[in-house]
Amino acid sequence: MTLQTILSELTRCFGTTFSLFLLTLVGSLPLGLLIALGRMSKNGLVSGITRIYISIMRGTPLMLQLWIVFFGLPKLLPDIVTGNWRYIAAVIAFVINYAAYFAEIYRSGIESIPRGQYEAADVLGYGKVQTFFKIILPQVIKIVLPSITNEVITLVKDTSLCYAIGVVEMFTRAKQIATLNGTLTSFVVAGVIYYIFNYVVDWVMLRFEKKLSYYKA
Amino acid sequence: MKKFIAMILALVMVFALCACGNNGDGNDTKKEAGVVTADDLKEGFTLKVGFDPEFPPFGYLAADGSYDGFDLALAKEVCNRLGWGFEAVPINWDAKTEELKAGNVNCLWNGFTYTGREDQFTWSDPYYENEIVMVVKADSGITSFADLAGKKVMAQADSSAVTALNRSKLKDTIGEVVELGDYQMGFMELDQGSVDAVAVDIGVAISQMNKTGNEDAYVILNEKLSPEQYAIGFLLGNEALRDAVSAELKNMADDGTMLKIAQSSDYVQQGLVVDSLCMISK
Repeated sequence: MTLQTILSELTRCFGTTFSLFLLTLVGSLPLGLLIALGRMSKNGLVSGITRIYISIMRGTPLMLQLWIVFFGLPKLLPDIVTGNWRYIAAVIAFVINYAAYFAEIYRSGIESIPRGQYEAADVLGYGKVQTFFKIILPQVIKIVLPSITNEVITLVKDTSLCYAIGVVEMFTRAKQIATLNGTLTSFVVAGVIYYIFNYVVDWVMLRFEKKLSYYKA
Repeated sequence: MKKFIAMILALVMVFALCACGNNGDGNDTKKEAGVVTADDLKEGFTLKVGFDPEFPPFGYLAADGSYDGFDLALAKEVCNRLGWGFEAVPINWDAKTEELKAGNVNCLWNGFTYTGREDQFTWSDPYYENEIVMVVKADSGITSFADLAGKKVMAQADSSAVTALNRSKLKDTIGEVVELGDYQMGFMELDQGSVDAVAVDIGVAISQMNKTGNEDAYVILNEKLSPEQYAIGFLLGNEALRDAVSAELKNMADDGTMLKIAQSSDYVQQGLVVDSLCMISK
């Protein structure tokens, strides 16, 4: 395979990597918030369950979770398997795994907001929900953004684990090309594409951070 | 402390629930996900062939970005003749049994060794004779199995090369079996010296050596591990499908189609040994 074909093959398969990345973020960022709220709930059952959930998701390898979702879930719900199940299973596994990490990041942010903010909101007549979304959450987002960036960049690279369940994303394709060519060129090209993409992610997140730092001169 | 114990108990309960779910499922449904009945095998049936895209010449990524290989070409021809649809499903070869059980693929057809796995799958008739050979670097000084004492030998994880190694007497003398995902990695390790030998199917060995453009750098040892045969693996109990595929494959062997496919220069260059076809009467 010539360098040009390698490049076009890898960029084509980068589409799978990218959509996996995007769907994971769209699913796990809100789910993580929900789990964080559950984790901080005063209801012992809710906080207990979410704590176990986070503990399992963070305490077992992502590759194992991919396998369990892909091969295990159809045993409980046989109808779940459609033509695209391989890819859907990967998305599900990534979403539930990353939601656990995001939940802990959100929690650290929410718990760092001083008590006084809640009291002030109360005095001004804000309700509980209003206080959270209008006063607390905007501050939390500013605090947690650098940690989120960290996880997002890790996610880009973690998508390569999908080869374990046969999803042909960019890294899997690079391996197949390496077998065909008997050289490492495809790995180098894949590495460059990963790097460029992460550079863009980093730049976008930095823009967000700058935009949100409106109190700093 | 109480809370800690409560949490452990909760965890145990969760796992117990999962376990129950699985057992119940297994007992309730007699028909396994992947089993195909004779009624299903009419026109419009799709044969989903599970293969490892990193195992030339039997299955690999071709230069134009499509999947090709001797076994895939055979499978395609079988489907053409039977009026079936054909789908090549690239899988992680480590997970082949699970893929088959889950019904994601309905056969494993990719230089799949039958010898030693007789009870684990429902098999077609064998069509290819394979040898597991030992490849070393020419300047390593290793010339026989005896020289491999204490050395590191690479083999593909969960492959017949591992099985063959474990069954041979070599197992007691070699230092360590290094199991990696694919042979491309194995040959890279051989090059840099982190393994001393690669135990590999002869076709794959030839293909890998050709690709380096420097075949003289490697030597295939004269001694061989036990010979073995390739066949198509189906889920246990899938006799109807097996019979249909196996019969058509035999027809292709008899009318010369199999030989014609095997002589394609693409496959020969990738290491296919035409003399190894054992379904063709010579």
